[in-house]
Amino acid sequence: MLENYSKQIKKILKNIKIGDRISVTRENRIYEGFLMPKTDTGDSDSIVIKLDNGYNISIKYERGVKVEKLKKPSRELSKEGFKALEFDSSKPKVALISTGGTIASKVDYRTGGVYALESSEELLSNIPELKDIVYIKDVSSPLKKMSEDIGHKDWQIIAKEVAKHINNNKGVIITHGTDTMHYTSAALSFMLKDLYKPVVLVGSQRSSDRGSTDSFMNLICAAYVSISDIGEVGICMHGTTDDHFCYFIRGSKARKMHTSRRDAFRSINEIPLARIFPEGKVDILNKNHKKRDDSKEVVADTKFEPKIALLKVYPGSDPEILEMLVKKKYKGFVLEGTGLGHVPTFADKSWIPTIKKIIKDGIPVVIAPQTIYGRINTRVYTNLRILYNEAKAIPSEDMLPETAYVKLGWLLGHTKNIEEVRKLMTTNIAGEISERSTIDSFLV
Amino acid sequence: MIDYKKIGFKCGIEIHNRLDTKTKLFCNCKPRFSDKKPVLIIKRKLRPVSGELGQVDIAAMYEYLRDRSFLYDCYEEETCLICTDEEPPKEIDEETLEIGIQIAKMLKADIPDEIHIMRKIVIDGSNVCSFQRTAIIGLNGVLKTSLGDIGITNINLEEESAGIVRKDGNEITYRLDRLGIPLIEIGTSPDIKNPDHAKEVAEKLGMIVRSTGKSQRGLGVTRQDVNVSVKGGSRVEIKGVQDLDTLPLVVENEVKRQLELIKNSETPKEETRVAKEDGTTEYTRPLPGGERLYPETDLAPIFIDNNYVNKIKVPETWEEKSKRFIKILPKDMTDQIIKSEYLGLFENFHKKYDPVLVANTFTSIVKDLRRNGINIDFSEEQFDEIFSSVKKKKISKEAIPELLEIMSKEKISLKEALEKSGLESISENELRNLVKKILKEHSDLVETKRFSPLMGLVMKEARGKISGDIVSKVLKEEMK
Repeated sequence: MLENYSKQIKKILKNIKIGDRISVTRENRIYEGFLMPKTDTGDSDSIVIKLDNGYNISIKYERGVKVEKLKKPSRELSKEGFKALEFDSSKPKVALISTGGTIASKVDYRTGGVYALESSEELLSNIPELKDIVYIKDVSSPLKKMSEDIGHKDWQIIAKEVAKHINNNKGVIITHGTDTMHYTSAALSFMLKDLYKPVVLVGSQRSSDRGSTDSFMNLICAAYVSISDIGEVGICMHGTTDDHFCYFIRGSKARKMHTSRRDAFRSINEIPLARIFPEGKVDILNKNHKKRDDSKEVVADTKFEPKIALLKVYPGSDPEILEMLVKKKYKGFVLEGTGLGHVPTFADKSWIPTIKKIIKDGIPVVIAPQTIYGRINTRVYTNLRILYNEAKAIPSEDMLPETAYVKLGWLLGHTKNIEEVRKLMTTNIAGEISERSTIDSFLV
Repeated sequence: MIDYKKIGFKCGIEIHNRLDTKTKLFCNCKPRFSDKKPVLIIKRKLRPVSGELGQVDIAAMYEYLRDRSFLYDCYEEETCLICTDEEPPKEIDEETLEIGIQIAKMLKADIPDEIHIMRKIVIDGSNVCSFQRTAIIGLNGVLKTSLGDIGITNINLEEESAGIVRKDGNEITYRLDRLGIPLIEIGTSPDIKNPDHAKEVAEKLGMIVRSTGKSQRGLGVTRQDVNVSVKGGSRVEIKGVQDLDTLPLVVENEVKRQLELIKNSETPKEETRVAKEDGTTEYTRPLPGGERLYPETDLAPIFIDNNYVNKIKVPETWEEKSKRFIKILPKDMTDQIIKSEYLGLFENFHKKYDPVLVANTFTSIVKDLRRNGINIDFSEEQFDEIFSSVKKKKISKEAIPELLEIMSKEKISLKEALEKSGLESISENELRNLVKKILKEHSDLVETKRFSPLMGLVMKEARGKISGDIVSKVLKEEMK
């Protein structure tokens, strides 16, 4: 428990535990309080005590400072209990899969540390509303990761976990860190074959240790989506900065567009599938989605080629990086092109010869829009015709770069035939490519 | 007369004072009230979070908050994503930290080697994120007073809460311009000897804050909370005493209230009361238990280096200031300006302009106007314009009260106020012409040498435009 304190402090505090009442004496001044743990920030030579008024201060240990354990009872530092939520089995049955992230963490009010929740039941216990909406019996926690640490193996684990539960549940809710939630949602969109039930990813931008957290409303809305008639993978998060409604965004069309706002997730190049109010109303906004069909059996098809890269061209960028990665046996690339889908063509460092050579060698190079919004065009400029007709780059249509990256890995997991990859890359499989660029789909 | 020693009088005080810094405490917004319309109104809910409320029943809190909505008025320059709890806080404002350390040094307080920002749970919606950020930056200090030393238990830096706009059933509206303005809080031990002493302590603490030159001005900038008990009574906290003059009365009334209860064989309860303008108090709620504080996990502890503390200069004490001012001001004015919230402005102006005029404006004129319900809330630039206009003889000093009144009431500039009132000053020559004209019209009065009625007639036209002494002099000359 004394971790993060310096060696000399550990020595001085030998017989003292976190939570013990101590006095620290320095130059005739006595500070009395409870010994607090040290976080990974701050000065490791300073002793943190909680004063009786509740405030923490640190006293630097130096020669002449005396630390004494006092006889008074030590502060209770045991874990806070919680009462598990009792669900009503007459409600629609829904499974919950917890993978970690902000939504599954909490603050210890005595020490101030942020810890992962011991169990998903603890999160649910804070949201009594859920028992009036769903019957959550199957709760599993195959991962406890912050989302920046999640990779393709985790997507495979989650997909298999969903497949395991979804066939005997009305839907599945997955709690997930937000940073890469849209990669996971894209991966699940491809990996869950014959899905005709809602798979709802949900997270939180403001942790649930504060009264203003978005996690509870997001989860309540997610519960409503999970029993709705939408048969797709999607992300359910705040639609605006208000605690008003959530959007359910198609898993292959969602992107985190802000570092911290609660309405960070936006639907790109199409309007959100639905607007969900925490009171239970589900407004379908986008009729173009798969409808629930409980007779279908979902299977997880999780084959994935991880040796692929998502790169970005920019003024002055050097195609050498592609050659280096090919030498390292990379099997495919998604390049974020500029504007309509360009790469430096007649620039000092043209990307064309390298791309042409790589593709000739059977390694697919997909171009996705770094503008995020809009569709790749292969014809309107000479430089585009050079890239797509001569060098044979594969356009991602209006697919997000992140979705294109996930899709390429999934396709290459199934076939290394570049012509087959080309064909499937430009064919809509999981709602990732819109047939029409609708006029209402920008900045929504 | 109450013998305060005999009745076991115990009293401590806590002052809160808004600071005049360049930015808010944890973001770069302007720390001021907006006079513009909100650019956005956001709507939020709050929820009880497991464990945070200690003894309070979570289920009851859940019921309480479930039906409540909070609306927040957001202002262009005074609200950002940090204020709306959409972005983590930035590090503590360096300027505020320095002011805090100055004050801690002036009160001979210990400064912790690491300052920990804490979260204090607030669930009435006045803090968007449901807690107030607060930190102890000094403890074990001492304040010298006429009745001995008073212990200073804590000096805190904290965020001001959002101001309430209206309560509409279960919908409460707050404005976010005030949220996050830096506050300094200073708390004393229960060492205060009697009600007048309470005033002295509050006054001195206020003077210490103002001597940094970084206190905001205006109504509600300083708030006093006072704790009172007597033998056989209980600790009662009286919140929100804004006027120092009523502080002794508030304390005395509380003492009498507790003594009265004891006399009737009742035991006064520990409770929180709120001060009303007439010096009486009103019950608000039972005294809350120990405040639930936990560390602000979004911010690291601030290591306070000795070199850093040593480099921060302590401002001049009021004794030193007093010695300096007594050379340019009469004694009573010196005393008043030193206690004034305008001390900082006086310092900025007294070398450029007539110190007596400046001090008189800030003490008696502004005070008189306030007494008449006119709130003087002008910027340094506005005062500068007024004093420089007097210096350039564009206006007479006699016109200042009326001009301030018009500017405040109609929210207009000095130029507009001059046009409206016609208080632009006139030269002695112009006055002489006016006098001649009036004497001609009232030759009967001139013949009977009726000075006073004539003076009255001239002043009717010239009031505020030129000094009365000059009017009298010119009139006498012309009547000869």
